[in-house]
Amino acid sequence: MKLNALFNRSLWVYHFNSGSCNGCEIEIVATLTPRYDPERFGIKLVGSPRHADVMLVTGPVVHRMKDRLLRVYQQIPDPKLVMCIGACGISGGVFYDSYNLDGPVDEVIPVDVYVPGCPPRPEAIIHGVVKALEKLERLEGVKA
Amino acid sequence: MDMLFTLDTGTGFWNPLLWVLGTAVAGVIAVFLYSLGERGYKKGTAQTEPFISGNPEPEKGLVHVRSGNLYWGFLDAMDGYYRRLVPLHTGDLDDYVLWYMGITALFFIVVVVFR
Repeated sequence: MKLNALFNRSLWVYHFNSGSCNGCEIEIVATLTPRYDPERFGIKLVGSPRHADVMLVTGPVVHRMKDRLLRVYQQIPDPKLVMCIGACGISGGVFYDSYNLDGPVDEVIPVDVYVPGCPPRPEAIIHGVVKALEKLERLEGVKA
Repeated sequence: MDMLFTLDTGTGFWNPLLWVLGTAVAGVIAVFLYSLGERGYKKGTAQTEPFISGNPEPEKGLVHVRSGNLYWGFLDAMDGYYRRLVPLHTGDLDDYVLWYMGITALFFIVVVVFR
């Protein structure tokens, strides 16, 4: 697999917590530790969506975070990918059908890759990033 | 071509051509750095709006930092002084003339008494 021409540079990731319990956050941070060291491939967390290529979304999207999630998603430059990390973002998880949810994530913004787990292991998150890049290459291949 | 002369001050020199050259080089470096920036932004969309942790951008007037804010620490440190002095500056010319006459009279008395 080679990186698409549009992503022929380091892949920067912005993390958005839409109401997570922080379990997924711990695993995302664990993914960035020297044990897995994704920075050797140029993958690193950034503090602003303006600098990001990929958006990691955790949490089931509580009511107050819906507008913010939409706004942050719109602020990421194109091309962009969205990864939904954890069971809560995929289905609502243990908060399924709760009164204060506007989610799950794919009911608010389009999601490219789902990484299930409560929380998912770092290996699963890295696997999700690879799947996201493969999807991007496939989409670009269709365009070409 | 007198404008292009080199001014020698004894401790250094100044030449307008060197300044023009330096400005041009700085401009080229600036344009080069600018060209390395993100090109994916679409103008007129949310992608060019400021990022404030996902919150909506407040009206410009509400977040404007006034020049007076630069002096905040100064004013705060000398608060006791300004608290007494600022109310004296009423903006009324009659008050200022009254102060002028009062202080002049005071000086007059001091000079007459202690000469």
